[in-house]
Amino acid sequence: MDKKRILIANRGEIAIRIMNACKELGLDYAVVYTVQDSKSMHVRKAVEEKGSGAAYRISNYKDPNEIFSVADHAGAHAIHPGYGFFSENFRFARRAALRNRPIIFIGPRWEVIRDLGSKINTKRIAKKLRIPVIPGSDEPLYSEIEAEALAEKLFYKQKKDGIEKPSILVKASAGGGGMGIEEVTHLDTFRQIYRRIQNYAKRQFGDEGVLIEQCMRDYHHLEVQLLCSQHKEIVHFGTRNCTIQSTGRQKRVEAAPGFDPDYTDYPFDARKVLNRMVKYSVQLASKVNYDNVGTWEWIVTRDGQPYLLEVNTRIQVENEVSARISRISKHKTPVNLIKEQIRVAFGERLKYRQKHISFRGTSIELRIVAEDVKRGFAPWCGKITRFYFPEKPWVRLYSQVPQDEPYEIPTEYDPNLALAIIWGRNTEQARERARDFLARADIQGEDSRGEPIVTNLEYLMDRLDDVLKF
Amino acid sequence: MDINLNDLLRKYKSHPYEDHKIDAPHTGLVFFKVRDGQEVAGPSGQWLQKPGTLLYILERENNPKRMYSAFTGRVAGLRAGLEGSFVQAGEQLLTIQHRLNRDEIIDRILRDVLQVFRAPQRARYFFTPETVTFLEKKTDKGLPIAPGDEIIIMSLMKRDSFLPYEGAPGIIYKVYFQQGDLVEQDSPLFGVCPPEKLPFVQKVIQRIRTEWDD
Amino acid sequence: MDQNYILDSGKYLSGLQDRIIYLGDVKGGLEWGHLQDLLNEVQKIRRNIFEFQEKELLRQIRNLEDRISFFEARVAEGLTPIEVVNIARSVQRFTLQDILENVYDSFTELGGEGDCNIDPAVLVARATISRRVKNRIYFHQVMVIGHEKGKGEEFRNGGSAKPWGNEKALRYMKVAEAEGIPIHSYIFTPGAYPTEDYPGAAQQIARNLYQMAKLRVPVVAFISEGGSGGAEAIGLADIRLMASRGYYSVISPEGAAAIEGHIKEGEQLPRKLVEHCAEQLKITAQDNLSLKTIDRIVEEPPLGARKEDFAFFRRLRYEIIRATDEVVLKTKSFRAFRVYALKRQAMETENGICEEFRLYINWSLSDSEKARLLENRSRKYRNMGHGYNELRQSVVSRLAQAGDTAKQSYYDIRYGLLRHHSRSVQKILEEVSSEGFIFLKTVTEPMRAAYDFVFPKPETPTRTELSTPVRRSIFVEEWEQYISPLANEDRTVTCPNAEKYGCRDLWVPDLYGEFCGVCPSCGHHFPLEYQWYLENLFDKGSVREFNQHIASTNPLNFHGLDAKLKKAVERTNRHSALITFGAEVHGVKLIVAMLYSNFRSGTVGAAEGEKFVRACDKARTTRRPFLAYIHTTGGIRIHEGTLGVIQMPRCTLAVREYIDSGGLYMVVYDNNSYAGPVASFLGCSPYQVGIRSSRIGFAGPRVIRETTGADVPPDYHSAKNALKRGHIQGIWDRRDFRKNLFEAMMTMGSPHLYYK
Repeated sequence: MDKKRILIANRGEIAIRIMNACKELGLDYAVVYTVQDSKSMHVRKAVEEKGSGAAYRISNYKDPNEIFSVADHAGAHAIHPGYGFFSENFRFARRAALRNRPIIFIGPRWEVIRDLGSKINTKRIAKKLRIPVIPGSDEPLYSEIEAEALAEKLFYKQKKDGIEKPSILVKASAGGGGMGIEEVTHLDTFRQIYRRIQNYAKRQFGDEGVLIEQCMRDYHHLEVQLLCSQHKEIVHFGTRNCTIQSTGRQKRVEAAPGFDPDYTDYPFDARKVLNRMVKYSVQLASKVNYDNVGTWEWIVTRDGQPYLLEVNTRIQVENEVSARISRISKHKTPVNLIKEQIRVAFGERLKYRQKHISFRGTSIELRIVAEDVKRGFAPWCGKITRFYFPEKPWVRLYSQVPQDEPYEIPTEYDPNLALAIIWGRNTEQARERARDFLARADIQGEDSRGEPIVTNLEYLMDRLDDVLKF
Repeated sequence: MDINLNDLLRKYKSHPYEDHKIDAPHTGLVFFKVRDGQEVAGPSGQWLQKPGTLLYILERENNPKRMYSAFTGRVAGLRAGLEGSFVQAGEQLLTIQHRLNRDEIIDRILRDVLQVFRAPQRARYFFTPETVTFLEKKTDKGLPIAPGDEIIIMSLMKRDSFLPYEGAPGIIYKVYFQQGDLVEQDSPLFGVCPPEKLPFVQKVIQRIRTEWDD
Repeated sequence: MDQNYILDSGKYLSGLQDRIIYLGDVKGGLEWGHLQDLLNEVQKIRRNIFEFQEKELLRQIRNLEDRISFFEARVAEGLTPIEVVNIARSVQRFTLQDILENVYDSFTELGGEGDCNIDPAVLVARATISRRVKNRIYFHQVMVIGHEKGKGEEFRNGGSAKPWGNEKALRYMKVAEAEGIPIHSYIFTPGAYPTEDYPGAAQQIARNLYQMAKLRVPVVAFISEGGSGGAEAIGLADIRLMASRGYYSVISPEGAAAIEGHIKEGEQLPRKLVEHCAEQLKITAQDNLSLKTIDRIVEEPPLGARKEDFAFFRRLRYEIIRATDEVVLKTKSFRAFRVYALKRQAMETENGICEEFRLYINWSLSDSEKARLLENRSRKYRNMGHGYNELRQSVVSRLAQAGDTAKQSYYDIRYGLLRHHSRSVQKILEEVSSEGFIFLKTVTEPMRAAYDFVFPKPETPTRTELSTPVRRSIFVEEWEQYISPLANEDRTVTCPNAEKYGCRDLWVPDLYGEFCGVCPSCGHHFPLEYQWYLENLFDKGSVREFNQHIASTNPLNFHGLDAKLKKAVERTNRHSALITFGAEVHGVKLIVAMLYSNFRSGTVGAAEGEKFVRACDKARTTRRPFLAYIHTTGGIRIHEGTLGVIQMPRCTLAVREYIDSGGLYMVVYDNNSYAGPVASFLGCSPYQVGIRSSRIGFAGPRVIRETTGADVPPDYHSAKNALKRGHIQGIWDRRDFRKNLFEAMMTMGSPHLYYK
């Protein structure tokens, strides 16, 4: 690759991981930051490696105008959006492609982001391919009568399936991230809730379309990691399990592979289920001509039935938990998905096929967050004075928090502190190593009232026993 | 009241200025439209509908944005070297030396007189919708407040929480922030005047009104 | 010593002084003809009146009077239009109070005692007017409604009626209607007072016009000072008389000068330009008579009638009775009217009038006569204000026109007789099949353009199915055939509410493409070209334009208008500011009239008025809903003078007849809608809606400042405030326009509509 410059339009640990990937690929890069993030490691590292001209102060990470303005001024050839922010914003990707000075958007092409960005549309495509999806509406409903008829059908189906407490979810079709969702347990209350959601949707999103679907319980949340090139090449890097989440449905502990029948028993044939999910995911990717990294999110119910939830058209926080156990033959180190993502965005071929990819061991990702688990995972902010983690060959740590100077957590963003990826020969070993790692970690600090820092280290430790167990 | 009004007034009389730093609100190419030492005007008109003096143009993504002065005063410290170049967000461009007028002097002195409720954290602050409705009516009476009243919402780390008022009961005499402003820790949010002090406050205002000439 | 002669002379001198001042009024100042010196002389004599011998004093007075009379004769000889305006505005001119005193036998003012009045500029009185027939005296009861300019009293506001004054006028018109007595309305107004306070200047005038269109009593109007919309508020009449030294105009000459000369606010208007405009606007009684915007002129003395001009009042009394007689007789039979008219003609001598009437004519009407009265009024207005060109039509469209007349009966049969049957069919359909569902879906689905884009329909293959990733312009893909030309630029714009709501700069292709010109964070609507609505509001391919051949022209030969019109035609490829067409929304047919900004700022003149009336009639005969979509209107086109003004009552009348026939008339305002059209055929709609971020009002901020001296807040005319004041019934998001329109057609309007 020529000496291309990449603008990293993100912050925190992902910015650091992208910088590392760029370095390994021999690419130049620049970063952006807001005044609140001036002390962040991602700025410091960029300045140390590329000089003060490589960091641009902007008003807001969420303002596309700032990103493009800096990209032009920095002479960037491509923009890496990381996750969150613009990563799944098809308008941003479209603008990058169609502006007078086009810039490569490191992600799928904007049409794919748009079409798979809509859960309903994804569901519709999946249905056509006979990929199982959660029973419910596959287009936004605008008529109460129509909605109620469907609700009735869904209740009936659940009863027939022998589900004890049937219920359905009513969602704002334009919503997302858990907003505008309510559960209906009795058909009698449906209309009232439907209207409430409809009003909410109209107020909040300007579109009163509503979706309804069966409410699933007792399931595992699994993901399939795919990598596709612009040359119709598709490979997968296995599955991962992201079932352990905070009350706000924020993932806290992830593990790869998705199930480990050697470690624990499942009420179904785990290998078969995983294979089905992978097969379906590849099928859908091929159908839409997917052309970058992507994650296919699934839920698996106790009866071993997978349902496709949605497709995340971006690199994910937890990508490395899959990457850590994947190896391409003849490569010395596990695969780096961010590197692969950048390569395919520049139009390169994969240079390997599925058969060259092998999997080894189990990895566990721990998300270390300053939050008060006992108080509904309330975010904590204040100053960190000590930030220590043991260094081991089996752990990789990513953090924007400096270890050598005090750090004030910016109040504008989530208080994610670090990401630790731990590898073990098998699940038992990975779990024990994670335990060891957490036991030796030391984070200290205090808030404006002098109260000591609150983190989720203890919570993570508690949940390690649940990893991969149904 | 243990406040020496004479001292305060003398202080402001000897230096009736306040400097306002003008920073680039976002990235872009900057083109100045004023010179150092130039007198500039703030917004005017009954509804402040007429913008102040054009200070500079900030062009980003082919959008030359005209930036007007929010204050009346004199331009100082203009960084002429930046003319036509790309600036980052928050880059200081110039300063406006603003001469305080009578109402502003009253405002500043009242901060010392009133019981000021300050921001406990660096966060975004909002009044509750009912409070906004009350304040918008602009009655002369002011909004009565008692300890424990939850009229402020603090938005921190994407979470909103009610902030109970702590301090003596009284009426909200002065509000120091705009809805949704990011307020630094310990900056004033609003000033409360206890009912028994109301005559005194009015006396202070009266006195400044008579003694201060714009 | 006898001092009586001094007293008399004093009075006389003061009269002379008034005459000089009046001359000054007419000439626009005392500079002309050294009137000031003359005035000084008179004043000097008045001061020193006791110094003079009787004889000497009389000689001096006679001398002065000769000189004044000489001047008066000279002024009268060459009266220019602006001087006529000055006459009509002079404080010495007769006012409505003088008319009430001198033309009527007795009167009782209703709802007012001087300044103790809801609006002292509008005067209402129950009055008695008498006629002598063969030495017997007959009395008629009438309702007198008019503007009172006052004799210099500040509180009369110069006859500028406030909205509540016009509301009062309307209230008493209805009283007259209930009691069956004729209305005599006297117009002495420079224009309506431009305030939006409830009921609102424009909206109230519109309401007045709407009611007057079908007021079931004779209405006779007399114009002394007819200032545009303010005049129309009480001016829709069966016969319109005009004082020979009055003026009737679409705008004050000063206002026209400010517009024509692009004069900035606060700058001095060049006098020559004002005079020029006064001439161009064709505002005198003679001009208006030849434009047929009035029916008859009431002769005044050469320099205009003043307060004590009793001969004039006698003439006015005669004319007003005669006019009322004529209106009444025309409702009886044409023959009776002819006989009456011939007799009157025979009795009128060359310069005089005859106060003796041979007949007593009862002014109350029977029901059938009332119906004829309304027919006559309708015909009268439909025949007025024809200042447009008809371009040569193709044979096809001429055939279509012929078809229109045949249509009426067709639609009567199709939807009148068969309606009952078709309804029950529909009911069966709903019961036996799921047709009902499909129907509901179409009602509730939002506008296609905005949402289908994000959620492509399953029937149409999604782009993701394309085997080769061909990159085409997004605009072609998303908007298929229509792309706002505004969207084709790589740049960003700032939302005007950015400071208030923190909206981010918007990338123009996003804004004008997918966002439909709406700021996604605050909902501000950026203006879009009218074509966008043509393409996105109606079913694809359903727009059928008609009457394109009716073209705006320059009926007054207004200087410079020809070139401006030519430019507008070249730019828009259209011939008027109004597009009328038939279209469909989810298969429901409707008629649309669309005023758009690109052609002379959407101003209304004779061509636009005619097209509007024809569209209205078409909607009536075909029983379709009628939508007036106002992309922008700047008011009545001033260059067409009162021919433009007359479109206000004319179109309102057509609207009234459409609504009375059971139609559904909806008005949707976008961008800027001001002045005459809002104050008439738009403002009278029961369903008026503003598109978000639009402005609606009577007069713009500048005119308000200049007439009232007060500034208005920047959001004074915003749709939100219009809604608050009750001027509109709702605010629509542009993206919901199609959906809301369809919903409205389904849920509003009478069963007379063809699809109900």
